[in-house]
Order: sequence, then structure tokens, then C-alpha cells
Amino acid sequence: MLHIEGVSYRYRDATSPALTDLTLNIPAGGVYGLLGPNGAGKTTLISLLAGLLKTPTGKISLHDQPLADARAANPRAIALVPQDYAFYPMLTVAENLRFFGGALGLSSADLKAQTDAAITFARLEQVTAKRAEQLSGGLRRRLNLAIGLLGQPQLLLLDEPTVGVDPQSRHFLLDAIAALPEAGTTVIYTSHYMEEVEAICQRIAIIDQGKLLAEGALTDILHSPEPQLELQLDQALPEDIAKRYAASPLGHLQYRLSLTSTAALSKLLDELAAANCTVRHLNLGQHDLEQFFMRLTKRSLRD
Amino acid sequence: MSPRLLALWLKESIALLRDRHGLLALFIMPTIFILVMTMALRDAFSPGVSIDAAYVVVDLDHSQHSRALIKRLDKSVSFKRLPAADDAENARQGILDGHHVLALVLPKGFGERLLAPAGADGQPTEALQLLLDPALSPALQLAFRNQVMAALGAVRADELTRSAGKLFGLPIAPGADTEREWPDEIHSVAVRNDRSVRPPSSVQQNVPAWLIFAMFFVVIPVSSIFIIERQQGTLQRLRAMGLPFHLILAGKLLPFFIVNQLQAVLMVLVGIYLVPLFGSEALELPGSLPLLLNLWAVAAAVSLAAVSLALLVASLARTSEQATVIGGVGNILMGAIGGIMVPKFIMPAAMQKLATLSPMAWGLEGFHIVMLRHGSFADILPCLAQLLVFAAAALAAAVWLNHRSLAAQS
Repeated sequence: MLHIEGVSYRYRDATSPALTDLTLNIPAGGVYGLLGPNGAGKTTLISLLAGLLKTPTGKISLHDQPLADARAANPRAIALVPQDYAFYPMLTVAENLRFFGGALGLSSADLKAQTDAAITFARLEQVTAKRAEQLSGGLRRRLNLAIGLLGQPQLLLLDEPTVGVDPQSRHFLLDAIAALPEAGTTVIYTSHYMEEVEAICQRIAIIDQGKLLAEGALTDILHSPEPQLELQLDQALPEDIAKRYAASPLGHLQYRLSLTSTAALSKLLDELAAANCTVRHLNLGQHDLEQFFMRLTKRSLRD
Repeated sequence: MSPRLLALWLKESIALLRDRHGLLALFIMPTIFILVMTMALRDAFSPGVSIDAAYVVVDLDHSQHSRALIKRLDKSVSFKRLPAADDAENARQGILDGHHVLALVLPKGFGERLLAPAGADGQPTEALQLLLDPALSPALQLAFRNQVMAALGAVRADELTRSAGKLFGLPIAPGADTEREWPDEIHSVAVRNDRSVRPPSSVQQNVPAWLIFAMFFVVIPVSSIFIIERQQGTLQRLRAMGLPFHLILAGKLLPFFIVNQLQAVLMVLVGIYLVPLFGSEALELPGSLPLLLNLWAVAAAVSLAAVSLALLVASLARTSEQATVIGGVGNILMGAIGGIMVPKFIMPAAMQKLATLSPMAWGLEGFHIVMLRHGSFADILPCLAQLLVFAAAALAAAVWLNHRSLAAQS
């Protein structure tokens, strides 16, 4: 559906490029997770897709059509739901939806139908007459999402759509977003909440410093050919054990070890007991997304 | 009609209607200014009407001539004479007590020396003494002094005529002993196209002046909404929806243009109906349709200039505080130099030249051409052209600033 090929982007006066030779294929349907630490280039990529920035190098095509042509042919094909509450606080929920529907150029019949559909989808029926400035954080997020759905976009760009909401609203939003592909909308989802991405995304891309670090189906990325063991001990791992199990440090007294089979676990535990090491925490199996992400992007703090 | 533009207009109108502070600034503020300033400047714009300055005359001469002088002074309506004081000391105390601001002391022998300065006894003449409150404006001091000199001249003329008649043995006409009614030596004629129109009054200065000032105050609501849009990412969302920036600007232009026209109607109604309730004369508009259309053309041009400037300030400012400072202070400066707060005609020549730089002065000049001189469309054309060129330049600058801002982000 969306093909990004060799896209590079450098902001004016920037010392390093925001994106470097980025190539991604995003299939139609599904929720695609776009991950990266702050400054990785996610917002730049979203801005390019939303038409807020022009593509200087590389190609972006939607349904095999250059992005600019696709947008010109159908201006409602791509919708952006920014991280900010990008609506009018002094307008009511219904007025906001009608305004943005009108700004999309919807005819009056479509406007009514799509406004109603968006209200129903985001469960905003009880607050349509309420001014946006009086809504709770969760309701504001739902309104922000509802506005993005007004033009029935083929591609919806969601930038951190659950920031600052309570767990109930977050679950509602995640369920709603996960259901969007069934209605024919492909979603590109950026978030710093890895558990959210694991919960709703089928494919992900991890970028950092403008470069693609990993891309593919989430199950493939998280699958490990050999069991990975993560340990937290009460003291440092003895060197001989560390060498035997190809241990790598994860943090303070935390280690990742490779086991040839799950049967090797009992042998390792015996060796640790013999070395007077107490296991405080143990995790055996596939690595989770957060661990994978941290391993790829390293632990150094970002701006 | 583009549904996108219609949606933008509707949104802007609702947002404005819910901005109570903005509405207060746009409608209540100029109403109060018109009422206060019209009353405050009423006498400054109406020469000949009573000046709120009282005086007493201390007549130490008690002669026929001193009484004639007082009678002459009483004919002037500009200054109010209070009952006479007994002596100069009482008159001085009256000034200190704030009872009156001027006291004219007619010395003993005043009548005797009216035509013979040295007097019959050859003694030097004692001058008339004018006691005055130092806080009284120099212009009023001079005006009263001139009034006394004029009355003195008339009394002298009467006395000269009488003396000459006696000297040459001319018959004395009945009533010749009384003072003559000399015609006013200066008759003021206002130069304008239609002679039926009265000279400018306080209300004719203040209604258009404060209307223009209020029109330019759209900078506050325009920038307030615009900055919310920019800070909350709404402008970005609209751009992602494919709305060009010039359409977003056009979406703001019409609602605020309409607001400006409503301000014009309301302020004219204030001038016609509310101002008279506070003791000033009512605003009179020219009666003919072409002149009313000319007035509207000026109001429309002022509005375009005001809204365009507001959009420029909104594009320039990063925060609401910046917009309030740039817009508010800018308006006050334009009003101060443009003859809004201080009428242009009382400014020094250099300031009057400076006033021609203010768009508010162009608008006020346009209104005055129509209201006071019943000027034609050709007469107001230079003012309209100045305002429209200013509006176009401000809009172009706003669009350029937006492009520059986008380029900086990319």
C-alpha cells in the first residue's frame, strides 16, 4: 500500500539528517507500529506522509502512485491525528467535528453521516454539546481520533494517541484503533508505550537517528531461535558461568544468557547455587519488545 | 460558495462569539471612549460656547465707564462672571479658595483715564490688574485677556464718539449716551462643499476616531484564535487536510470584516442616540445615499486594513502575550500619532506630519472628508488607496511570514 524508498531528509541548518535512506513497505490493512526514541525521525516521517514536509530525496508512493499525486487525487486519503489536542477548545464536540468535516470539503449529507459515525465510533454521544475545553483527557483523545476519521481515510497516521489518558480510556482507544483495519483503514501508529504496540500492531519498524534498525512482523521480530534467559542476581555473575552461557549485561546485576535448550536451565540454576548466587528474577522465553527496542537503540538518554 | 471557506467562517464566528474579553474590547471599549471623550472635548470643539471658567470684577472706580466695561464683558458668553468682590484681597482669596479662576481689578480713576492715560492730574495711569489661577490654561488666560481688551476698546470707542460729538457741537441723537452695538469684526465661515453642514463637533471627531481605534482592536481576538491554532497543532492539522494558508487567512477575513461593520453601525447609533443623553449634541450623518456609501467605503477600507494588520501581528507573534503587546501597543501608538486620542489639528506641525504615517489617520481623514466636507468618492480615493495598499502589504507579509516559518521547519 505505502512504499517508502530511499527517503532521506535533512532540516535546514541541521548538522545531521533526520532520515537517512529509509525504505519501508507498509501493507494495506493492519496496524503498523513506528518506534524509535526521541529524535529518531518518527515525526519527520509522519510529517512527510501527512504532506507537511516535501520529500527532497527518495520516493514515497501510495497504491503505486506518487504520494503528492495520490493526495491530489484524494485529499482525504491520508489523515493525521497529531499528538496535540488539535481542535478548538471553545467549540463543542459537535461543532469541532462539523468544522473539520467542512474543512475536508465534505458535502452536507456526507458531513452529517460521517460526523455521526465518528461520534458513535469514539463514543462521544454524551458530550456532543460540551465544549472541548471542558472534556477530560480521555475524551479529548477520543475527539482527536474522531476528527481524524472524518474523511474515511485509507491511511491514518496516529502520533502518540494515548498520551496522558487513564487506563480505561487507553484500553478503549487501543481497542478502537485495533478495529480500524476492519473498516478499511491502515494505521501507522507511533508510541513510546511498547506494550501498546505489542497489543495492537502486526508489523513494526524501529528507527533511530534517522536509520532503520529493524522492520518486519512483530512475531518474527520477537521470535528468538534459541531460548533467551534473563536473570537478576544478588551478586555479580561468576565469570566462568558468564563465559559458558555467552552472558551479556542488561543492567545492574542483570544478565541475558543463551541456553542451548530449556533443559539446560536446571543445570545453570545448580551452578548458580553452587556459586552462592541467589536468583531474584528470572525470565525465560522470547524477549519482549521493550527489551528488543532497548537492545537496538541502546540505553543512552535522548533529548 | 466553497464549503471549506464556509466552515472556516462559521468556526471563526463561533469562536469570536465565545470570546467575551474580545467582544468587550471590540464593542464596549469604544462606546465608553466615545461617551467620555465626546463630553471631555465638547467645549474644545465648540468655540463660543460657555467655558467653565468664572471670574469676578472688582470695581474700585464705580464710574459710568467701569460699569460700561462690565456690561460689555457680560455680553460675552465664554466666561462666567460671578458677583463682584469688594476689594482685590477678597478676589485673591476667592481664587485661592477655588471660587473663581480670574479677577479683573478696575482701579480708582479708571474712567477718568480712559481717553487720557495721564489723567487730569497728570499722574501716571494705574494699570488694570488681572488676578489669575496659575493652573488655568494659558489659552484661556489669553482668551480672557483678549476679551477684556476688546471690551475696553469698545468702551473707548463709545467715549471717543461722544467726546468728538461734544467737541464739534454735533447734535446728540436719542440714545447716543448708551453704548453702541458694534458688529462682530470677524465672522467665521467654514469652507466646505455643502454650506448647510455645521462645523465639526466633538461627536463628529470622536465617533469616527474611536470607531477606527476599535476596528484595529480586532488584533486581540484574531491573534488569540490564531495562536491557539498554531500552538495546539490545529493549523498543522488543517494543512495536513490540504487547506492552503491563504484560504485559512480568507476564513478569518470575512467574519472580522463583518464584526468591523457591526462596530461601525453600533458606534454611529451610539453617536446618534446615546451621546445626546449625556448632554452633547447628536451625531449627524449626511443625508444622501452617495455620501452614506462613501462613508461605508471608508469603513470597509479601514476594516480591511485593520484585519490584515491583525493577521500580520498574529503571524508575527509566537504567544498571546506577544500579540497583546505588539497589537495593543501598536494600536495605541497609531492612535496617538494618528489624531485619534489627540485631535490632529491641535498637534504641532511636526506631529501633524508624523500623523500622516498612521493608517488610523488615513481612515479618520476619509471619514472627515465625507462627514464634514461632504466629499465625493474621488475626494476619499487617496485615503482608500492608502488603506487598501496597507491592507495588501500586511496580508502579503503575513503569508510570507508563514512561508518563512514553514521553510524554517523544513
